[in-house]
Amino acid sequence: MTGEEETPMGGLGWHVPDGELRRYADRALAPPLLWSTEAHLSACASCRGRLTGAAGPALADDGWELLAAELDAPVPGPIERLLTRVGVPEHTARLLAATPVLRLSWLAAVAITLTLTALMAHLAHPAVFLAAAPLLPLAGVALSFGPRVDPTYEISVVAPMHTFRLLLLRCAAVLSTTTGLSLAASLALPELGLAAVGWFLPALVLTTLSLALTPRFGPVLAAVAVGAGWVALVASTWSAGDAGPVVFVPAGQLALALTGGLAALMVVRLRRTFETPRRIR
Amino acid sequence: MTIAATMPAVRASELTLRYGRTLALDGVAFTLRDGVTGLLGPNGAGKTTLLRIVATALAPDSGQLTVLGADPRTGSGRLAVRRRLGYLPQDPGFHPGFTAFEFVDYVAILKELTDRRARHQEVRRVLASVGLERQAGKRIRALSGGMKQRVALAAALVGDPDLLVLDEPTVGLDPEQRMRFREVIAELGERRTVLLSTHQTEEVMALCQRVIVLDRGTVRFEGQPGELADLAAGRVWTSGAREPRALASWRTGSGLYRHVGDPPPGADLVTPTVEDGYLLFVDPSATHGGEDA
Repeated sequence: MTGEEETPMGGLGWHVPDGELRRYADRALAPPLLWSTEAHLSACASCRGRLTGAAGPALADDGWELLAAELDAPVPGPIERLLTRVGVPEHTARLLAATPVLRLSWLAAVAITLTLTALMAHLAHPAVFLAAAPLLPLAGVALSFGPRVDPTYEISVVAPMHTFRLLLLRCAAVLSTTTGLSLAASLALPELGLAAVGWFLPALVLTTLSLALTPRFGPVLAAVAVGAGWVALVASTWSAGDAGPVVFVPAGQLALALTGGLAALMVVRLRRTFETPRRIR
Repeated sequence: MTIAATMPAVRASELTLRYGRTLALDGVAFTLRDGVTGLLGPNGAGKTTLLRIVATALAPDSGQLTVLGADPRTGSGRLAVRRRLGYLPQDPGFHPGFTAFEFVDYVAILKELTDRRARHQEVRRVLASVGLERQAGKRIRALSGGMKQRVALAAALVGDPDLLVLDEPTVGLDPEQRMRFREVIAELGERRTVLLSTHQTEEVMALCQRVIVLDRGTVRFEGQPGELADLAAGRVWTSGAREPRALASWRTGSGLYRHVGDPPPGADLVTPTVEDGYLLFVDPSATHGGEDA
């Protein structure tokens, strides 16, 4: 049955061809034909009757199942919706949404800390902001993985999905969110120009270094050690130049980049230790 | 096919693991086949450590282990095991604010079920298999302890695993919940290998086709529950007073005292239970002779 025919309302109308109706019943119809077919079916009793004949009771059962699935299905939270909107696959967004530090309360705490640090940088020295901002992703990563902070850690470790992959996913999420917030906070220091993003490389390096130390010391102790080392480094080199600590001048940044590269190599080398951890506590 | 005729799901020999100076497992050897096997032992015996090793959450310091035909020491072997494994840890944690459905859905993603529709079907299936279909949308923090345990068991069942490792699954449950749990586990054991740890000998008697007694990191007995009980034959008796020389002596509901140990001449011997046999192993002074290590 195709083309224009008389509708039950008495006028001429289009009806869904048999082939398309069968493909619709088999859920093989793709947009935009799917949309126009659905729109027509909702208004045309005749085609709905033909669909019943074409599909049989199995389609109705499937429909109920789909309805049940949709009713039971978790309602994505704001972070999950944002992630899927920017192209993250639904299942990955679900995993990331369960990251302990990707909650609004954590993000709010990061935003407040950055604001206060930027204020202090105005009052004291811009390097205060550059030195403090890298500590936030470091803390975030430490609090997103491990038996002390992740209630499903034990189940995650024995799941087929690689623990290391889950860890990297969470690190990426933490780094992305804190980087975004730190970038926004950097706008409050326009006098620094591009130097206002001097925190970015240290953030990457400190996070990578703490990951490299995690199999040996656990995520929290590793982050505390790396954070303390960073603070000590900044404080000890503070008087070395007018621009602040030498870690924010090109030579210092180069040294940091080399350290980060070595730490990244260590992380890759140690990736299997995350799968059957002995010391991650 | 009988249980004995099937290929072992787990074969372990000389498993050793240390936590610092503490020897948690000392040359542990055992074999697991289809059906439910109970791992019995006192606190600190090494039960959780052994279960974590079988579940690939922990690697032993030394020894051989084959799980579902794969070697968990290698990356590919570990992955092969994990794809066919269900694990219920001793203290399963839940993300705050998750519903039962959301938690099991999360675990299903970790178990590589990425297609949303197929995954949600599986989540509904496992929740129904533990009788929680009506609680799927409830926040886990609002569920009772027994229901939380069932949610964790449902998560372990995602993907219909061939091997289930359950660490004290009925601890803290009331008798009714425990009974419900036993029914579920017994049914699961009809088609797969289940290894569960417990302190309760009555649970072993009610559920397990085989039992392993672990004490201070060593396997003291491996066999059928009836065989464990038989080991105490001739060493259990009752009398009207406490027997200080017995390994264990307690007043029963009938008013008589039940004793396990070396009976005096003419003692009124009674039929031993699994618990009597177990007591012979966990008491240090009772482990002389007759052990099947």
